[in-house]
Amino acid sequence: MGQQPFETILEAHHAEIYRYLVRVTFRRTEAEDLAQETFLRAYRAYRTLPPDANLRAWLFTIATNCARNHFRAERRRRRAHEAVRAVRSERDDGARPDGQTLFNEARERLDGVVARLPFKQRLAFVLRKIHELDYEAVAASLGCSAESARAHVFQALKKIRRDLTELPTMEPQR
Amino acid sequence: MKRPRNPCAEIELDLIAAATGEADPVAERRVQQHVSGCAPCGGDYQRYRALEQAVETWRRAPAPAGPPAAARRRLEERLEEIRRRTVAYRIFPSPLGNILIALSERGVSMVEYLGRRRDLAHSRLGRMPSVDPVEDGAELEALHRELLEYLEGKRTRLDWPLDLALARSEFHRSVLRATAGIPHGAVMSYAGVACEVGRPSATRAVAQALRWNPLPIVIPCHRVVGSSGALTGYAGDKLDLKERLLAVEGVAVAPRARRICRESMYVRYPGDDSYCLPSCPSLATVDHPHRLVLFGTRQRAEAAGLAPCTTCRPDVHPIAS
Repeated sequence: MGQQPFETILEAHHAEIYRYLVRVTFRRTEAEDLAQETFLRAYRAYRTLPPDANLRAWLFTIATNCARNHFRAERRRRRAHEAVRAVRSERDDGARPDGQTLFNEARERLDGVVARLPFKQRLAFVLRKIHELDYEAVAASLGCSAESARAHVFQALKKIRRDLTELPTMEPQR
Repeated sequence: MKRPRNPCAEIELDLIAAATGEADPVAERRVQQHVSGCAPCGGDYQRYRALEQAVETWRRAPAPAGPPAAARRRLEERLEEIRRRTVAYRIFPSPLGNILIALSERGVSMVEYLGRRRDLAHSRLGRMPSVDPVEDGAELEALHRELLEYLEGKRTRLDWPLDLALARSEFHRSVLRATAGIPHGAVMSYAGVACEVGRPSATRAVAQALRWNPLPIVIPCHRVVGSSGALTGYAGDKLDLKERLLAVEGVAVAPRARRICRESMYVRYPGDDSYCLPSCPSLATVDHPHRLVLFGTRQRAEAAGLAPCTTCRPDVHPIAS
């Protein structure tokens, strides 16, 4: 009662949650399944969600838990790492405007570095830097304190900086 | 002059924060001071700045493709299925023993007498294969309150949205709808309900439909009695409850005989907008005497919107109670 209907929530957040899951799992089919699981879980718990809750952060938390459960099996994690390449070539398949080429290369290098981050750092980095959640929400997603959420993000940044010896030029210069 | 290593290590996190726009003003100033005098950290600062810009460009870039429409459709179908199956329920105490109330997305779908039992496992709801009961509360609290008021005689209507999905068949649903139309404080016979649903010979089937009424009290199957006035049966073996509910509504039941006192009730023929004494001459000509609706008191008949008959004048000659 007094809650917005669940369809509205699905409409507003499904695409973003799916993209988040693609970014952390690197597999579209797995991201689809995990996004479905996320929203089915959310639906079951939705009635009991306090009216003042941060809905978006809550959905990210559920999605993160789904992703972490999914990756708990070591074998699956390895498979996902192997999949990074596949996804990248999958992206190249789409015809893109020419001006984007340089930018795409840079983005893919960044993508690749992010893919090599330890899972928790990757989650923290994507939540904070790509989806721009505040540290409270990142912490809630990871089940840690805001302080350690921040530490995870900074560790990720340090690692990315080290791995990208030469930073990608994001401004098209030609 | 070369600085010792320590300050650089100490300031590293602040430096990252400052370069990525997350530092508070104090840390920001400290970092700027340090960087201005330390070339390696200055280089790091610039690299983090560049990284932040790269990430920002990445973030602002057109998002990767969203979920395929098929995935969205599959999710919506799953949700729809769960939604259809999910009912929230609570078990409440009442003067009639524990009562379970269940609410689907369309309305109240079950009211069940549990007696002393308090667990879903032994309830009819818990055994239904077509639903997933979830114990939940807020909306059900209000329903429970209204139900108690009703049982205390402080309320004559339960205007709840109802969901008849748990009735056993379409015929059962039509019987339940007809029964829902019997006003508070009135009774009708099983044969009368059978006529109402257009199956005048289906008296026993009507009785079965009411035996499996998923919404007792709300759909007032206690207001349906035998043509002779005998209470007949209620929810299997709960005739006591039927008697109590009728008493709450002002319908007298002869003690021990377990029948209502037809001869001391006011009468209305379906479709009429007036009520009569049982001896009214106008009733001698009715085709289906079992279709009569009987009222325990004049107040109830008038509350149902009826006027006193102008022939027998029940308002002038009320039945002595």
